[in-house]
Amino acid sequence: MAAMRRLELIIERMALKRAGNILEEAGLTGYTVTSAMAGYGRGQRWTRDGDLSTAQDMVVMVTIGDAEKIGRVLKDLHRLLDAHIGVLSVGEVEVLRPERF
Amino acid sequence: MALDLAIATILSPVVLFFVLGLAAALARSDMSIPEAFAKGIAIYLMMAIGLKGGFEMAKSGLNLEIVGVMVAGVLLSFTLPLIAFTLLRATTRLERIDAAAVAAHYGSISIVTFVAATQAVELAGLPSSGYLVAVAALMETPAIITALLLYGRGRKKEAAVAGSQQGDLLREVALNASVVVLVGALIVGWITGERGEAQVTAFFLTPLQGVLCLFLLDMGLAAGRGLRQGWRALQPATIAFGIYMPLIGAGLAALCAFVLGMPAGDAALLITLSASASYIAVPAAMRLALPQAKPSIYLTLSLGVTFPFNLTIGIPTYVVLAGFISG
Repeated sequence: MAAMRRLELIIERMALKRAGNILEEAGLTGYTVTSAMAGYGRGQRWTRDGDLSTAQDMVVMVTIGDAEKIGRVLKDLHRLLDAHIGVLSVGEVEVLRPERF
Repeated sequence: MALDLAIATILSPVVLFFVLGLAAALARSDMSIPEAFAKGIAIYLMMAIGLKGGFEMAKSGLNLEIVGVMVAGVLLSFTLPLIAFTLLRATTRLERIDAAAVAAHYGSISIVTFVAATQAVELAGLPSSGYLVAVAALMETPAIITALLLYGRGRKKEAAVAGSQQGDLLREVALNASVVVLVGALIVGWITGERGEAQVTAFFLTPLQGVLCLFLLDMGLAAGRGLRQGWRALQPATIAFGIYMPLIGAGLAALCAFVLGMPAGDAALLITLSASASYIAVPAAMRLALPQAKPSIYLTLSLGVTFPFNLTIGIPTYVVLAGFISG
């Protein structure tokens, strides 16, 4: 097992491509996106039901990389979150096949 | 006549299902239409409306009068955000970016309001033309350009949002799902004409009313939820804007219809388009173009205030207004 960093970004769906571009340009080898169903923030509840524009949909992006690659994307993701709604967290994880990252 | 039409419109299944959804959401019922199903219905409706318009255009053809109405529609969509932005800045405390985002919604159109108006026009016994669907598609996006220019005017050019690529906004604005499906279906309907109509009527045209009821139930739920969650973001002056701005749009369109000598049914539809506010194409474009603008303001206003107003009071008023100006 090898130590790696796991980055989780909850972000509005419309900014997904922008976040993906940042991760891809930093050389991260992959990421996974899942839909967020509902939540609460800025004093308001939200749910994806009924928003036909998808303007308020949120997604969760997860990627794993070494500390150097994850460190490289943080500045750009910070700038992205200055404009778009989202939450970013980074944690330590262990992976079985470090050569994949 | 006006009162009869208003009562008939309000008591139609489509509007009553909307009211049911709205009331259920406001009463905190947990009723919901599955998201994927609702989005599927939206695509179905766009296809049905586009095809219907295309089939009628195949019968009537394209002439200079139609081009005149299309130009008027585009000009309305470019102009209305100017008025909306000026009024919002003068009467509300909305920030410049929020005022620009709201203005974009009121220059663009709501296709569901348009469909509901088509039903009301039929109910009033007025014939209408299929090319108005093309006018609707043309009016979707110019307002976004005006709103972005209004926001950017006199401001230093801001650095691009991290990760953005050239052309992604243009792609979203010009090729968003509603424009592609609506215009695509219109062209398919236009090309295939009567032959195509005979092939797809059973699936796309006959069940349209029933599907619209389902869709409006979901819209009512969305509007009610939006109001419940977002009403705190709206000041009284902003809510008032959501009621009087459609009337200003209607007045301007009525003037265009009068100048162009449009028949009452077509005039009513152009007036409705001008009076409606977007809640599908523009909110998505705004998240890309002006991400700092608050969706709780522009979506709640457009979907929670203006859409119910237009559906219940606006449309009968616009039909009567169209009858008046078309003599």
